[in-house]
Amino acid sequence: MKKLLTLVLAVALVLTMSCAAFAEGYNGDLKIWVAEAAVDFTVEQVEAFKAANPEYADMNVTVEPVGEGDAASKVITDVEAAADIFGFAQDQLARMVAAGALIDVEPENAAAVAAENDAGSVAAVTLGDTMYAYPMTSDNGYFLYYDKSVVTDPSSLEQVLADCEAAGKSFYMEINSGWYQTAFFFGAGCTLTYDVDDEGNINACNADYASENGLKALKSMITLAKSPAFVNGSSVSNATNAAAIVDGTWDAVAAQEMFGENYAAAKLPTVDGYQLSGFGGFKMLGIKPQTDDAKLAACDALAAYLTSEEVQLARYEALGWGPSNLNAQKSEAVQADIALSALAEQLAFTIPQGQYPGDYWALATGLGDRIIGKEFDDADDDTLMGVLNEFQETCISYAG
Amino acid sequence: MVDLDYLKMSKPQKFLHNLAGFFKALPGRIGGGFVNLGRRIAGFFKGLGLSIADLVTTFREGDWKTRLSYLVMGSGSMARGQWGRGLLFFLFQTVFNLYMVNFGVAYLSKLNTLGVVETYKEGRRTVYGDNSFLILLYGVLTLFFILAFIYTWRVNIKQNKISQQILKSGKKLKSTKEDLQSLMDSQFHKTLLALPTLGVFVFTILPIFFMILVAFTNFDYNHQPPSKLFTWVGFENFKTLLSSGSASYGDTFRQVLFWTLVWAFFATFLNYFLGMFVAIMINKKGIKLKKMWRTILVMTIAIPQFVSLLYVSKMFAADGLINTYLMKWHWISQPIPFWTNPGWARFTIILINIWIGIPYLMLIATGILMNIPADLYESARIDGANAMQMYGKITLPYMLFVTGPYLLTSFTGNINNFNVIFLLSQGKPMGLSGNAGYTDLLITWLYRMTVSDTNYKIAAVIGIMVFVVLAVINLVVYNLIPSVKNEEDFQ
Amino acid sequence: MSETKQQKLRSKKGHERRINGTIYTVLTIMSIVWLVPFVFLVLQSFRSYQLEKGGMVDYLIPKHFSLDNYAFLFEGSNFFSWCGKALLIALIIACLSSLLVVVAGKWLDRRDTVKRAERACALGACLVVGYVALALLAGAMHGFALAGNLVHALIGLALFILAGAIIARVYLKQDSKLLRSIPGYVVEDKYEGVKKLFAMAAEFLAVTLIVQCILCPMTTSQYLKWYGNTLTIALFTSVIQTVIVLSVSYALSRLRFKGRKLIMNVVLVLGLFPGFLTMITLYFLLKQMGLTQAGSVPGLILIYCASSGMGYYISKGFFDTIPKSLDESARIDGATRFQVFLKIIMPLAKPIVIYTILMAFMAPWGDYVFASYVAFGHQNGYNVAVGLYNWVNTNDYQNYFTRFCAGGVLVAVPITALFLALQKYYVEGVTGGAVKG
Repeated sequence: MKKLLTLVLAVALVLTMSCAAFAEGYNGDLKIWVAEAAVDFTVEQVEAFKAANPEYADMNVTVEPVGEGDAASKVITDVEAAADIFGFAQDQLARMVAAGALIDVEPENAAAVAAENDAGSVAAVTLGDTMYAYPMTSDNGYFLYYDKSVVTDPSSLEQVLADCEAAGKSFYMEINSGWYQTAFFFGAGCTLTYDVDDEGNINACNADYASENGLKALKSMITLAKSPAFVNGSSVSNATNAAAIVDGTWDAVAAQEMFGENYAAAKLPTVDGYQLSGFGGFKMLGIKPQTDDAKLAACDALAAYLTSEEVQLARYEALGWGPSNLNAQKSEAVQADIALSALAEQLAFTIPQGQYPGDYWALATGLGDRIIGKEFDDADDDTLMGVLNEFQETCISYAG
Repeated sequence: MVDLDYLKMSKPQKFLHNLAGFFKALPGRIGGGFVNLGRRIAGFFKGLGLSIADLVTTFREGDWKTRLSYLVMGSGSMARGQWGRGLLFFLFQTVFNLYMVNFGVAYLSKLNTLGVVETYKEGRRTVYGDNSFLILLYGVLTLFFILAFIYTWRVNIKQNKISQQILKSGKKLKSTKEDLQSLMDSQFHKTLLALPTLGVFVFTILPIFFMILVAFTNFDYNHQPPSKLFTWVGFENFKTLLSSGSASYGDTFRQVLFWTLVWAFFATFLNYFLGMFVAIMINKKGIKLKKMWRTILVMTIAIPQFVSLLYVSKMFAADGLINTYLMKWHWISQPIPFWTNPGWARFTIILINIWIGIPYLMLIATGILMNIPADLYESARIDGANAMQMYGKITLPYMLFVTGPYLLTSFTGNINNFNVIFLLSQGKPMGLSGNAGYTDLLITWLYRMTVSDTNYKIAAVIGIMVFVVLAVINLVVYNLIPSVKNEEDFQ
Repeated sequence: MSETKQQKLRSKKGHERRINGTIYTVLTIMSIVWLVPFVFLVLQSFRSYQLEKGGMVDYLIPKHFSLDNYAFLFEGSNFFSWCGKALLIALIIACLSSLLVVVAGKWLDRRDTVKRAERACALGACLVVGYVALALLAGAMHGFALAGNLVHALIGLALFILAGAIIARVYLKQDSKLLRSIPGYVVEDKYEGVKKLFAMAAEFLAVTLIVQCILCPMTTSQYLKWYGNTLTIALFTSVIQTVIVLSVSYALSRLRFKGRKLIMNVVLVLGLFPGFLTMITLYFLLKQMGLTQAGSVPGLILIYCASSGMGYYISKGFFDTIPKSLDESARIDGATRFQVFLKIIMPLAKPIVIYTILMAFMAPWGDYVFASYVAFGHQNGYNVAVGLYNWVNTNDYQNYFTRFCAGGVLVAVPITALFLALQKYYVEGVTGGAVKG
């Protein structure tokens, strides 16, 4: 009996040893959350990754559709149950770091990421001196899609509106969104940024909305909202009668379908003599804190792979998501893309989106809703200045 | 005579009189309440003292079986041949001991700090420290378990005492079989209520108690277990929610509370009167196809709200059917801001709620209208009353009297009416501080605080405030409307 | 004189007619308003997301009517083929059992006491054997032929054998009692009960079968998965919740014991706390039990049932109206409280039982909040509400509006049919509840 036991133990020992020899790889479970549209693509790429890396061939990867906005809240709510790798937009970064829901990028990878991706996206994944995520796309900005047969000159908002009005068509822009609103404020020369420390906590606010420039921007929006052609919205699928829409690359296919032969895209127009600006945005892949080194290594490798040049290009081809990788951006296919070239043109006028407190978006929506709700149509400058003052004060109060 | 004066008053006067009386009596009542509370507390300690004294005497007068039960629960019962009971007691004690040793003590000892070991990194690997959430959760669970243990222990000793007395008087003890049989008969309520009570305990009382405690911690997005610790902060969060200032939510809280009450008022009373009106129309003599009208209206109850309300919310959207058709027909040049203008949004919500709410009231009113004695109307008609008068003198008072309690529960239900707001507007348009919108009710605000903002501390405080608001409303109404009180005594 | 009287009468009649006309107009307008959104919903569900747009458009009537949206919901499943087969089997079982029950009833109706009892016995055995055999057959067929999967076949078998066994037990017990009370009274009522039981069992079997088919892991259609989840949740919740609610309301209404008032007061106070307050706690409680994400279906059943005892008001109000003398006379005859509950009160409580089942069955279809929280991003754990809500309110899902409409129609139709069929009981419950508070 004893002998048998010894034998069993010995065999077990040998087995563990031999396992340890192969311990480089990882064959447990790994979960990925990406946007619904990207699920099939990600599954394919994970298979390719496994084929290329035999040590991870037995890894059991599940890919589930969880939207980028949702992912951040979910990961923060319960890190343990959340996916190991997840896609999200950069506006959530500080919040996630503050909640301890992100692990920094592996130092070797970090150097490569910094070298291979465009400066805006690298800045977007970095807090303080630490890089917290792998940039995946650099297309989260907006520009103008328009109908060539209606809009004669896309470089001036006044002209665009006039053309739309004449044709009985609509111009879509979601000015009750904190994201699109900045086109006016930043374009007119205002700033609104928050400073974030290494911990992800917001500690200062730089804002000058309550200024001449801010007033100019607000008045432009009010004028825009007065136009009978204006409709608040930014989704092609919900645009019922559009001749022009301020939207992003994710709607490129839909826009092409909607405008058909007359499909065209351009940078944002000018209004009241200034060029509309806006946010440049990025999507990224993050990894949650791991308690197992082998799994962490697998996550690092997989995330690096999923954001590599080849995969970014493949992603562009499959989904039309514009790459953040510099080489991928230079590829012919990307260069020839109408929407992406319009975005690239617009990029010169945008400001990379930093970190904003969740309250800011609600506040901006509130302001936009008041504009659309015609509250300010007859307001004088002092009233408007009061509104801007209040807005700025509230923004500042979110910091610290 | 005061009573006679009172009888002479008209309805509204009576109501005002009652109201005044209520508030006049309020200080006295509150005072009385405190005196009562004091008495209760005194009574509690008195009972505790008696109980301890009883424990001592039982021990002194008990035989060895009883005395052993002080240490090993159930041993006395087993020694006396009541195996079933004894084993149950013994099992409970064993489970309790195992739980406390393996689990409970560790969590209980950390309850005062909610954990001190921070999460750290070993190389790139994360090593989690204390989990404040689990410490609080299991700490509370352990506290509850200890209370349950003390209670069971006390019952165990009481039973020994009683058994001893029964044996002394020469009677026989119940066998296990008889015990089981009694669970189907004289103790049937225990069988019926055991599982539901356990369920309510674990899934309602424990979580509520837990969340009340969370209101006194700094559990939020910056203190999120397992990566970060949270700890006790006293009344800090209440201050944040109730005081005004740039970093506080006081103004938002007042606005949201105001809209919550306005909404509940309209949702309750508008639907009430319109529903009654519709019921009267359908039930009028000579109206045909009664069943069909009713069935059509009832459709909004039958179809799940997430289908009907989500669809309707899209119908009213800026690019929805209503706006696009109105624009096509050139009735409007701009979409009506149903969901983007605070005033419009509130109006639209109340309007759509009529669509959802009238059928309920129609059904209820139909049931009650049928019960109104017909001879009341007959005699009124002979007296020459017209329809309006009959309505004012008979129908309305009767309805109000009978549905008094329903109105109260309906008002309470509307304050917590999550579905309508959430499915229609999600609280939008936004614009209040604390990430609240103009159509947010306290409950939808609480939801957003929990789910999107993960700001649990404030969510907990909002929850407590909802409780306070509802408690106040209920107390006032119970004291003002006699029919509510009487109905409650209905037995 | 008489002429003026006639005139008066005529004018009164005219007046009456005018009032009725107004009422008809108002009711017609209301009916239109009430029905229009649903008509629109159905119309838009026929707009193809491929040929036209799946999002918002500025016209109502689809340009090409198509079933594309519905096809999308079933995509990736051979749902129709095996659901059809399964339905067929279920139908056969239901028909056969109903036939047997009818024959049994005819047989038993002959008034021939001793022989009848023997025959009843034989018939009972016959029925049981028949059921088990059918169950085995159906389970095996379903498992192997349709799912082609051993685990599933075993589950099918187990379920059906269990059902057969329960029926056999109940029947035999009923039967032995029957034998004992041969010269007894009201025998026919007992047969009535047996017949009903069999009918119910057949229905239960049929439903189980259908649910199983929908839950069949072969499907890759997300929508069907969600639908199956919701149906499972609704079925289990309706049974468990009804048992709990009836137990609590019966105990609080008709039994007197220490702590009764305390329980009622505690429930009253607990009811004043908003339900979503404890969401995060419930989530972590469930997570400790492993009932989140992949386990969200049992988790949700647990959540819906655990605290359902607090909703006892309406059925308590109903029990309060049943005269106490009924219990008392039965108690004098030696019945235990349990027997009183089962044999005397339950048969009288049919309306409230149906009301409770209906409410418990309908509620899970509309729950978005807890369902999405518990499923926590695990798509296979969603219920229909969560899935469809995401389709229409998440930006990832462009052009899903008409598919939401189609999915909504498929949820609304059966639920509405069920509700309208049982409307009577709903009205009884609601009005009773409102009057008694």
